[in-house]
Amino acid sequence: MLNNSIQYTIPAGEKRELLLINEPSINYHIVQEEGSSLLVHVIALPNPKEQDYAQHTTITVEHNAANCRTEIYGLALLHGNQQHHLTTSVLHNVGEGYSSQLIKFVLDDASKASFKGELKILPDAQHVEAYQTNRNILLSRQADMVTEPQLEIYADDVKASHGATTGQLDESALFYMQQRCIGRESARKLLLCAFFDDVMRTLPDEQMQENLLDKINEYIG
Amino acid sequence: MLEIKNLHATIAGKEILKGLNLTINEGEVHAIMGPNGAGKSTLSNVLTGHPAYTVTAGEVIFRGKNLLEMSPEERAREGVFLSFQYPVEIPGVSMVNFMRTAVNEKRQHEGKPALSATEFLKLMREKKSLVGMDNKLTKRSVNEGFSGGEKKRNEIFQMAMLEPCLSILDETDSGLDIDALRIVAEGVNALKTPHTASIVITHYQRLLDYIVPDFVHVLADGKIVRTGGKELALELEEKGYAFLNE
Ligand SMILES: Nc1ncnc2c1ncn2[C@@H]1O[C@H](COP(=O)(O)OP(=O)(O)O)[C@@H](O)[C@H]1O
Ligand SMILES: [Mg+2]
Repeated sequence: MLNNSIQYTIPAGEKRELLLINEPSINYHIVQEEGSSLLVHVIALPNPKEQDYAQHTTITVEHNAANCRTEIYGLALLHGNQQHHLTTSVLHNVGEGYSSQLIKFVLDDASKASFKGELKILPDAQHVEAYQTNRNILLSRQADMVTEPQLEIYADDVKASHGATTGQLDESALFYMQQRCIGRESARKLLLCAFFDDVMRTLPDEQMQENLLDKINEYIG
Repeated sequence: MLEIKNLHATIAGKEILKGLNLTINEGEVHAIMGPNGAGKSTLSNVLTGHPAYTVTAGEVIFRGKNLLEMSPEERAREGVFLSFQYPVEIPGVSMVNFMRTAVNEKRQHEGKPALSATEFLKLMREKKSLVGMDNKLTKRSVNEGFSGGEKKRNEIFQMAMLEPCLSILDETDSGLDIDALRIVAEGVNALKTPHTASIVITHYQRLLDYIVPDFVHVLADGKIVRTGGKELALELEEKGYAFLNE
């Protein structure tokens, strides 16, 4: 597949936001100069009826100077045979930088998704803080999630962590809510909205948060 | 109100309830005591429809309806409330959102309109003060980071919000100091009406000093093996369950 590719550099001291909602497949390569910051959201909330939804997003970020900051958030809610594949590559070429990634996917029916996260800290890139977290919930046995973290840390004085989990909705929480008169469907909605909550809060626009929350509520069957 | 006849239930293929009979009328408080592993929590879970349990024989009639045919939420909306032995933490779901959904789904079941935001907050305030629930707790996620005692108090708060006909308190007293115990018991007593009933599962006589039972039952090996008045609780506290082996 031949994807669209976009490259740019964030000049020293500047801030950029990149918001991708249901974008067609695309590759980004972003270079950060000294003291710049980047906030990325990759959101896949396709209408459940859109059966042929399948997209690949690749985000490559390079810290080419000190004191750069990068935050990447991913969110997906997929149904039917929908697919969403996210690949990130965060390259700390220079020290004194910060990056965090929080990726949360919920897969229903026979949907498929993947998260491949490369995190590389070069030998001279000291005092970097870099975090990567991927959490997924499978609502059906047919759903398929692939997580491939790839950490290459060559500097010794850094703080870095990564974690990945894939599980189901918490049955004991569902039962607790049902015991409190809450129907199973509303209970699932409450749990899934709670699951997405920390990602949603990072969206800079409150109106957008609300719109997306409405969509999540509408699409959870 | 509640009639349990010859109830048999299994979990993971293992029979836990082995022919349990119990009848509860409006206005009554029944204490259930018994050794660990006797099946007390199993009874609570079976009555509330926990999916891990299978009823293999017997019936449960609640206010003229077959309770065992209903989903857990239907049982709750019909007025069965369980104060969990181990309340569940639900990170990310706020107490307010949780309670509002609960109250309004119950009201919908009863054919009543949803409460407005103002009415709901007023109800919350009223019930919080009834059970001495701290304001800061209702601002958090459900049970998240609550101490053992705070969780139990939160159960009674939820009970006050939902005003059930039948409340099952599964060891609500364990982990509570005497002041918390008194407040919980006062809350339970304040919610008592001639048309409600409670099942109080406990290991300790001390709760029964505050919530005075009309009947005390001993549950052992999946059956009620002895029934008496409140003096039976005192006797059990003194002599333990040794008589079971006689
Ligand atoms: N998930 C389970 N699988 C198998 N046995 C279980 C499970 N949960 C509980 N039990 C068993 O059921 C019995 C009754 O437990 P429970 O009802 O919790 O007792 P109580 O509340 O009276 O202490 C115990 O022997 C316990 O080991
Ligand atoms: Mg128990």
